[in-house]
Amino acid sequence: MTSPKRIRKIRFGLLSPAEIRKMSVTKIITADTYDDDGYPIDMGLMDPRLGVIDPGLRCRTCGGRPGECPGHFGHIELAAPVIHVGFARLLRKILRTTCRKCGRLLLDEKTKTDYLRQIKLSQQYGQPIDEIVKNVFKDAKSTTCPYCGEEQKEIKFEKPTGYLEDGHKLMPTDVRDRLEMIPDDDIEVFGMDPKNARPEWMVLTVLPVPPVTVRPSITLESGQRSEDDLTHKLVDIIRINQRFQENRDAGAPQLIIEDLWELLQYHVTTYMDNAVSGVPPARHRSGRPLKTLSQRLKGKEGRFRGSLSGKRVNFSARTVISPDPNLSVNEVGVPMKIAREMTVPVTVTPFNIEAVREFVRRGSDNWPGANYVKRADGRRLKITDKNCAELAEALEVGWKIDRQLKDGDIVLFNRQPSLHRMSIMSHFVRVMPHKTFRLNPAVCAPYNADFDGDEMNLHVPQTMEALAEARILMLVQENILSPRFGGPIIGGLHDHISGIYLLTKGYRMFSEADALEILSKVKLHELPEPAEVRDGVKYWTGKQIFSQILPKGLDMTYQAKICENCDVCKKEECERDAYVVIRDGDLKCGTIDEKAIGAFSGKILDRIVKTMDVQTASAFLDEVTRLAIRAITHRGFSYGISDTDIPRESVAQITEIVLNSEKQVRKLIEAHDRGELEALPGRTLDETLEMRIMQELAKARDAAGAIAGKFLGSQGDNSAVIMARSGARGSFLNLTQMAGCVGQQSVRGERIMRGYGDRTLPHFLPGDRGADARGFVESSYKKGLNPTEFFFHAMGGREGLVDTAVRTSQSGYLQRRLVNALQDLEVKYDGSVRETRGVIVQFMYGEDGVDPMKSDYGEGVNVPRIVESVVNGGESK
Amino acid sequence: MLDRTELSKAYFTRKKIAQHHIDSFNVFLEQGLQKVIDEQGFIETDIEDIEHNIEPVKVKLGKIRVGNPVVREADGSVEPLFPTEARLRNITYAAEIFLEMAIVRGEVEGDYIEVNIGQMPIMIGCAKCNLARLGPDEWVKNGEDPVDPGGYFIINGTERVIMTLEDLAPNKIMVEYDDRYGDQIEVAKVFSQRRGYRALVIVERGRKSILEVSFPSISGRLNLVMLMRALGLETDQEIVNAVSDDPEIQKFMLENLDEAEADTVESAMEKIGKRVAAGQAKDYQRKRAHYVIDRYLLPHLNPENFERLGPEDPKLAESRISKAYFLGRMAEACCELALKRRAPDDKDHYSNKRLKLAGDLMEDLFRVSFNRLTRDIKYQLERANMRNRELYMITAVRADVLTERLIHPLATGNWVGGRTGVSQLLDRIDYMAMLSHLRRVISPLSRAQPHFEARDLHATQWGRICPSETPEGPNCGLVKNFAMSVELSTGVEDEESIKKIMLEAGVRPLRRGVVE
Repeated sequence: MTSPKRIRKIRFGLLSPAEIRKMSVTKIITADTYDDDGYPIDMGLMDPRLGVIDPGLRCRTCGGRPGECPGHFGHIELAAPVIHVGFARLLRKILRTTCRKCGRLLLDEKTKTDYLRQIKLSQQYGQPIDEIVKNVFKDAKSTTCPYCGEEQKEIKFEKPTGYLEDGHKLMPTDVRDRLEMIPDDDIEVFGMDPKNARPEWMVLTVLPVPPVTVRPSITLESGQRSEDDLTHKLVDIIRINQRFQENRDAGAPQLIIEDLWELLQYHVTTYMDNAVSGVPPARHRSGRPLKTLSQRLKGKEGRFRGSLSGKRVNFSARTVISPDPNLSVNEVGVPMKIAREMTVPVTVTPFNIEAVREFVRRGSDNWPGANYVKRADGRRLKITDKNCAELAEALEVGWKIDRQLKDGDIVLFNRQPSLHRMSIMSHFVRVMPHKTFRLNPAVCAPYNADFDGDEMNLHVPQTMEALAEARILMLVQENILSPRFGGPIIGGLHDHISGIYLLTKGYRMFSEADALEILSKVKLHELPEPAEVRDGVKYWTGKQIFSQILPKGLDMTYQAKICENCDVCKKEECERDAYVVIRDGDLKCGTIDEKAIGAFSGKILDRIVKTMDVQTASAFLDEVTRLAIRAITHRGFSYGISDTDIPRESVAQITEIVLNSEKQVRKLIEAHDRGELEALPGRTLDETLEMRIMQELAKARDAAGAIAGKFLGSQGDNSAVIMARSGARGSFLNLTQMAGCVGQQSVRGERIMRGYGDRTLPHFLPGDRGADARGFVESSYKKGLNPTEFFFHAMGGREGLVDTAVRTSQSGYLQRRLVNALQDLEVKYDGSVRETRGVIVQFMYGEDGVDPMKSDYGEGVNVPRIVESVVNGGESK
Repeated sequence: MLDRTELSKAYFTRKKIAQHHIDSFNVFLEQGLQKVIDEQGFIETDIEDIEHNIEPVKVKLGKIRVGNPVVREADGSVEPLFPTEARLRNITYAAEIFLEMAIVRGEVEGDYIEVNIGQMPIMIGCAKCNLARLGPDEWVKNGEDPVDPGGYFIINGTERVIMTLEDLAPNKIMVEYDDRYGDQIEVAKVFSQRRGYRALVIVERGRKSILEVSFPSISGRLNLVMLMRALGLETDQEIVNAVSDDPEIQKFMLENLDEAEADTVESAMEKIGKRVAAGQAKDYQRKRAHYVIDRYLLPHLNPENFERLGPEDPKLAESRISKAYFLGRMAEACCELALKRRAPDDKDHYSNKRLKLAGDLMEDLFRVSFNRLTRDIKYQLERANMRNRELYMITAVRADVLTERLIHPLATGNWVGGRTGVSQLLDRIDYMAMLSHLRRVISPLSRAQPHFEARDLHATQWGRICPSETPEGPNCGLVKNFAMSVELSTGVEDEESIKKIMLEAGVRPLRRGVVE
């Protein structure tokens, strides 16, 4: 093997004819590929010197077998020069700006040197020179040559590869002759390096023939050979080239020569790019357009985006996900079937040889076993039922085995689209029965996963470095805080919040049996002193129970989500129990709700991560979810249609409010029609009317909601209210719509306007602008919508559906653009942001040097917390 | 009060589920096929040899007839075919098509011979279907589900539905605002459609309130007044009256009249000739100008078989005048929009939509395929003649040519005109999925673009399109499903009777002569 080399620099240039000939191993002269025996023909397109693809043959250039030989270029001597399509536009510019007689740039000496100086300077500083070159092409348009005085004629470009000078066709030979005359100095003004790219090299006289390895032929089942598209194209080129040569040698008339020349140009053009506009694409016999050079490289499935940037991996698994609240957030349940298939490499050492021997002895069918052993000489042996005992005996230090995945292994877990770094996190393996990946529902938030059929991928790290990275940087507990806003992205959801809310709200008392049942899934050794002893029976409060899982040393004070921001905060005496005080891991007062443990907000979790450590945080998270589930099952929690029932009086009130509002709307319309409505500043009369109506109806909906909400809220134990209050799920708006009135339906922020000429639906009179005619739904979901209301609701609902559909496709593209723009930026150890060349983008990351993940919701320092900790005796760090 | 149960019973029968497909296909079988044949009329050949005294030969086409679905076994026997057998044996549920053809030599017409020209895939449940007249018990006896709604085809054993396509109404003037270099302009567009050919004609009112027309095959735009003059409205008065009798719009027209570069029909036509065939001989320019106008400008106003009429034919002159008046109407619409007398047309209004059903699509397909067949027949006849064989229609017709061209698009969904996904594999995941699939409407709008307005549920879809059933995701709002109560009419071919009814109802003709 050759020693590794470091790439210092890449220089781009054009292949000169001399260079093409130099790198060529043979000239290609015949269009045939194989002879009757199936052996490649010498100097044909499959010449064995170009490399080999058939097994058993050896490359005549390097002697390599198929797979070893990278292939070698050949060349075709074109009978006449042809334009390279890729450079046709550039050639036009060059032809227009150089003299037709002496070939010099149509700029006087002074401007020329000035431009040259600018270019040199820009190159020196690594600045792009595109702008300057653009100006050169713009400036150099003189009608007479400043050097030889020759009058310049207009050059017209005929797509894709033709040039006309004053209506006369310029043959590629003419073009090439002119380009050859351009002096080196002038070429530099075009921003080209004359040593690496002479313009006449853009007119091809020699065509490189890519190695056979680039265009392998395939043998069909019938034994027939099927050639690659490129080979087909090259065959065409050689045929026409030969015919051209023969015709010219035979002295054929000019017309025929020109036709053949054009045909040659066509074939070479389509060989390079088969999607040039103005050229019919070259087709295969079946009518399928050929995939030529440019098509191989371009686009999503092209060589760059498809083959080079697109990575494929081994040691990965994919299946449907399902929830398992009994797992830790740091764990993932892996189906046995997958665990047996996926392996971790283990090197045999004197310390582990006995343990490894046991894995080998168990074989591949007996989990946890091993699938392969790799001996010291590098041979890989599959472990089977038959040879496992034998191999286990033969095991030596220095061998490697592929051990099956077992509990405690660390793996990467991923869900597409991978939009942020929490889309790939590492988990500890728990091998489980059945066929789905299991994960704790609390980690759904960072993956944005749900269980309606989502699938996820799993990767097993294979090296020590990868393993270390996975364990230290990528574990779920390391990613509880989001680098987006410096708060926890993982937290309790839905029932966890309802459950813990119900447990801690007020001072519910639990007997010893109840308390122990609720705490049964929590690691706990003994109960604290009971809060109350009544009739000799010990009782504990919900707050006490919750306090058992709080880490010791936690101190905090904050207002819970249920706080209604009273003018004067009564603090500990709050009648809603919204003032949370925790002292040394003991909940003194206040209710635990979404603000404490919810995803995106959880204050307690946030504080634990920031002042203690991540293990404590993840342990707390696991325990709080288990505790909450126990608590809510202990109490029971359900919701049904009858929970939206409101008394008849309230219904009557709501009806009256809605009727009143509709009356108001009618009045507004009448006022408008009479011309009495006054326009709001900056609005037309119609707009004003619309706004006023919208306001009026929104008011009606809110009032209806308030009545429904007031009644349901007064019940206290209404499940929907509990969920809305604690922030578990749903809002008061949802309640309003179920029990009170659905409200105005809108499309793009307006009431529903479109439809038949002057009205939305034929059920209304033309010109009706009333509430019901423009999509106000006065019914509640529970009462049911009447047909027109239902239709308006569907119109409003459709907008939402379309929005979601359109947004997902757009956000994917936005993400791609963002990543492409930022991927090479790096925060260096000195805190500066630099790109690959070391050019500074920001002197200090984010201009404040704050790592948002370690920040406190974006702030570098949380002053109130420091003050609090000092006031409270400086207990916390 | 009306007993609504009767009404709903009438709507909610199983029969109605795919009735639109079946009706449409029946109309195609009864009228569409014959229409396509009549459009063709003759197959001309190049057989003529004055030296050898061979008279010109052409083939006269007569009545077309479609049989019932049959299967031709390997031993040559022909048996009636039922859908279940077609499904199980992976064969096509198709019937033979017979066409009367007669060879015409010079003036001598031969007798009609009925020739099998190919096979026509037959829709399950249509008039030609073998199940059509059978009762439910007999359906079961023949292996068919008695509650199967039909309305699909069986191609090589797979069930294929031709999707209902929703399109903007052809031959209807639509006005809207457009943008030209930052300026707002008013445009009137019409998709003029005649048989398979569709041409977009645009009249626009530019910045200086000059009216210009663009239509296929001309680059850029033509001056409206000049075009109307070339079409045969010579005087300024005629042109202005053809646009509007409203004084304000006539004022607009005055500015336009000043811009016109020709004052006679002849000179206007010359000007157009210069545009369509620059640098050619005068005579050719004239010919070309006539050709372009007759062929590409508002083709829906052309007389029957206009291709066979000479450029000086009075029928063509008549249709040119009609075109001038139609352009005048478009110009008027533009001006009205500019004067805010009307609002831009709502393209999503369902009265501006037309649905292309299985029958229409099969007609398009049959027209193109039959054209292919005629070319093949011509070639076969010429070849037979070259070899000095007797000319027989039976041997000249290669039935496979047509059959293959009818079946392949149905099997792949690649319709004529490059449209894909026209036929789809019938969704048999469950009964409901199948019913829904048979009543699906697809919009040709690209799903890649947002098209927010087109995806909205439009109030005019009430009673026609289901407000709830649409896919989530990129096709949202573009793929629709019929409402339960929808009724589709199959369109009327006979325009004269409609004209008569409208005249009786008090519609006054725009000018004498257009409507007799």
